[in-house]
Amino acid sequence: MSRTEERENVLNTLHRRFGAGIIEFADRSPRRVYLEIKPESVCEVADYLFHTLEARFNTASATDTPAAVEILYHFTLERFGLVISLRVELDRGAPAVDSLACCFPAAEWIEREIHELFGVDFRGHPDLRRLLLPEQWPEGVHPLRRDYQEWDSEAVRTRGV
Amino acid sequence: MNARFRALLKSPWVFHLSTGSCNNCDIEILDCLTPRFDVERFGILLAGSIKHADVLLVTGSCNRQAVERLKRLYDQIPKPCFVVAVGECALSRGMFIDSYNCPVPLDHIVPVDVYIPGCPPKPEAILAGVVKLIRKAAEMKLPATGDGRGIEEVVAQ
Repeated sequence: MSRTEERENVLNTLHRRFGAGIIEFADRSPRRVYLEIKPESVCEVADYLFHTLEARFNTASATDTPAAVEILYHFTLERFGLVISLRVELDRGAPAVDSLACCFPAAEWIEREIHELFGVDFRGHPDLRRLLLPEQWPEGVHPLRRDYQEWDSEAVRTRGV
Repeated sequence: MNARFRALLKSPWVFHLSTGSCNNCDIEILDCLTPRFDVERFGILLAGSIKHADVLLVTGSCNRQAVERLKRLYDQIPKPCFVVAVGECALSRGMFIDSYNCPVPLDHIVPVDVYIPGCPPKPEAILAGVVKLIRKAAEMKLPATGDGRGIEEVVAQ
């Protein structure tokens, strides 16, 4: 089976198995596929990609868009050079999603980082402590959110010239 | 010139501290130590311990975690000492001026004697800065920081 056929095969299987959980299927280029999925099915799709298809979990990235807090989980299928990105959109008021750390421990730290920078609650995460922010940083302030405001009264924001 | 200054300028030992730089300034500083630029001809050596150093060389935009370490190091360096800021980030935080993690510029935290601008500064610029520091201090135009005296007191001595 050629690489293109294998690629088609994998994408069709994903469609068949998780059709109900997939909101949008964007086949952008031969090497890039975006799947927008419902937040509740992220665990089963990621589990299938990682354990059955043996995709590599690269990382997760989050963005705070005006409409929603968006998380992209990037997986690579190295057999045919395909990057599959799972996109979930979460409610900006109280963003929460199931943790992938139960499927593969590699997701633990990136979820801790997203938790402190965006305030996303990862349900079922074994250890949702702070990862990068300093200790004196106030609780509940998430610096990469759109509504972040300067909290440090001692901060100097001029160049002094 | 008093003996402490002369000892300081004969062979300044430098402690190199990165407070969250992108490492480009650090690479240029290491470049200064190579035979091509060779700051050792001015007696400059990198010190492995802050307690052996005469000059604190700071790069980077002073992020919150590093500021604590910077203060601790400045407390430990033997006085009189000099502080040299290398690169745009150490001078004014460059593009990170509004970053949530870089609240205060370096010269609000410790007194800075020499500013070397550039992103990153060329080794030639760093050398020029070093030479200026040595010459100015030798001419007593610049007081060494950290012993609490102003320039007039140092010159009058």
